[in-house]
Amino acid sequence: MNADRVSSLFWLLLGLIAVYGSFQLGLGTMNEPGSGFLAFLAGSFIICVSGGIFLQSLIRFRGTPLEVKSLWAASNWHRSLIIAVLTLGFILALEGLGFFITSFLLLFLLFKVVEKLSWGKAVLIPALTLTVTYVVFNIFLKSNLPKGIFGF
Amino acid sequence: MDFFANFIAGFTVALQPINFMFCFLGVFVGTLIGVLPGIGPVGTMAILLPITYGIPPTTAIIMLAGIYYGAQYGGSTTSILVNIPGEAASVITCLDGYQMARKGRAGSALGIAAFGSFIAGTFGVIGLQLLAPPLVSVALRFGPPEYFSLMILGFVVLTYLAQKSMAKALLMAGVGVLLGTIGLDTMTGMPRFTFNIPELLDGVGLAPLAMGLFGISEIFLNVEKTVKQEILTTKLRGLFPTLAEWKRAIGAILRGTVSGFFLGILPGGGAVLGSFVSYALEKRISKTPQDFGTGMIEGVAAPEAANNSAAQGAFIPLLTLGIPANVVMAILLGALMIHNITPGPMLVKEHPQLFWGVISSMYLGNIMLLVLNLPLIGLWVQLLRVPYSLLFPMILFICLIGAYVINNSAMDVVLMFLFGVIGYLMRKFEYEPAPLVLAYVLTPLLENALRQSLILSGGSFGIFVSRPISAACLVVAAALLLSSLLPMIRKRREKMIAEAEEDE
Repeated sequence: MNADRVSSLFWLLLGLIAVYGSFQLGLGTMNEPGSGFLAFLAGSFIICVSGGIFLQSLIRFRGTPLEVKSLWAASNWHRSLIIAVLTLGFILALEGLGFFITSFLLLFLLFKVVEKLSWGKAVLIPALTLTVTYVVFNIFLKSNLPKGIFGF
Repeated sequence: MDFFANFIAGFTVALQPINFMFCFLGVFVGTLIGVLPGIGPVGTMAILLPITYGIPPTTAIIMLAGIYYGAQYGGSTTSILVNIPGEAASVITCLDGYQMARKGRAGSALGIAAFGSFIAGTFGVIGLQLLAPPLVSVALRFGPPEYFSLMILGFVVLTYLAQKSMAKALLMAGVGVLLGTIGLDTMTGMPRFTFNIPELLDGVGLAPLAMGLFGISEIFLNVEKTVKQEILTTKLRGLFPTLAEWKRAIGAILRGTVSGFFLGILPGGGAVLGSFVSYALEKRISKTPQDFGTGMIEGVAAPEAANNSAAQGAFIPLLTLGIPANVVMAILLGALMIHNITPGPMLVKEHPQLFWGVISSMYLGNIMLLVLNLPLIGLWVQLLRVPYSLLFPMILFICLIGAYVINNSAMDVVLMFLFGVIGYLMRKFEYEPAPLVLAYVLTPLLENALRQSLILSGGSFGIFVSRPISAACLVVAAALLLSSLLPMIRKRREKMIAEAEEDE
């Protein structure tokens, strides 16, 4: 599957949604453009350029085409997937469990499970990081880090 | 006399303890991220944006500016010692800098990079101080059509310099404009593309967008690769270049300073363009061009000077016109707008302390950087030994917390993560995020300029071509677009002719 073909179709769809949305907002008139005017121009532009990229991918007059499979072929994509899942877990749990618990768990899992550091380092580094972060954000910058159901 | 009066006034602001401290923090962090591959000045500025909410705007801009030009200094260290550029503008330094290090001349390379950066940075600030006020008077002649056309020119220049496909870069600019329309329409008060999510009424925040596209996506991409860093273990001797080395390098430094400064002013230009062009220039005028790439000191001096003077020059369109020349300036523009300051021709009148204070802080910043990059070079070398496996969890964590504290809202963290995934996929499919962010930041200005122009002209687009400055900008933009198409057309014709001959 040609990567440019796939991506251009995605952007084409986005452009079509934008144009549809801009009509819903109202284009106004030429001497009094409405809320949807710029979105209409941007959406139309996206449609034209993505259409051009799509056609270019069919004609293939430039170099070797990029295949979707090859984008992940020689990479450790499992690592980035695991990190993404852990990050998503952190985000979902942050306000519920609070800053300390979720942050410690995230960093511990990243150091221990993903990077396979020793137990000592996997506990010590997050502990130090949390302390510094708490001091900088909560005390110095007076931010309000979430406390969660346990109150800390 | 005005020059010296402004010089002194600026220094009274820059030498205030809080500004001095944040200037040092900015250049220190800038050097740090310049040395460490894996995160660049854009990502760092985006991560530190939330921190700037609690400090005065002058201090915030001094710190963020320090990160930008500090990164230009730091990038040379890792380019010379590890052959991995610490940030994009130091890519070209790898060519000759690493070869000099391999020949036991790492000290000279590092020394000339630091001194060249200092000289160029200082001249760049002087140029900024001299050119900015007269440009303000030119900028006062700009009306909505001129601003609109200049922004279009900026998009085209930025995409013209895209490393991959220009069409993809233009597409990203279009997506950026679309993203910029999310939120309340400032003229009609109508919510646009908010999908009934209250947090989106103020639009997508710049910090989550930039942190996601440049910070989070960079992490996802880097953890997939195994990068072996082999740091040259030669002892660093003789950081002060010899007289012979100065004689060879000084011309390159001065040429790099001038070329970098003016390329930095260009919308779409910046430190990266400056470094590449200055290297090409030195190679062209050299009596021994074939030696470039084997350890020529001019090959280090010129790009390092150019990237620093370009970093200063890039402030000119931002401070005088309110138009960011590149994505770094777009982040600074965003930071100013967060503090309710609109840069442009009135900035020097309405906020003289900010204007002259930031400029004067750059003199101090350049001196600090010379100290940081020479005597402390051993510290930076040690930092290079910190594996990425220890760094990326910290960077990720700081991004997550930084995004949360913007509005104490998990929505900003969600948005950052979403843009992180989008940015990761974009880079995989070879779409660059820089045009998207630049377009996003410019969209409110672009829309206002477009609407006001059409109201002025009674609905006619002719206003953009009937006014000379606007027309000139659009002609240059069109010429650049056409010139990028011509080689494609030529190559296609050649390919078709070759295929036709094969068939015969």
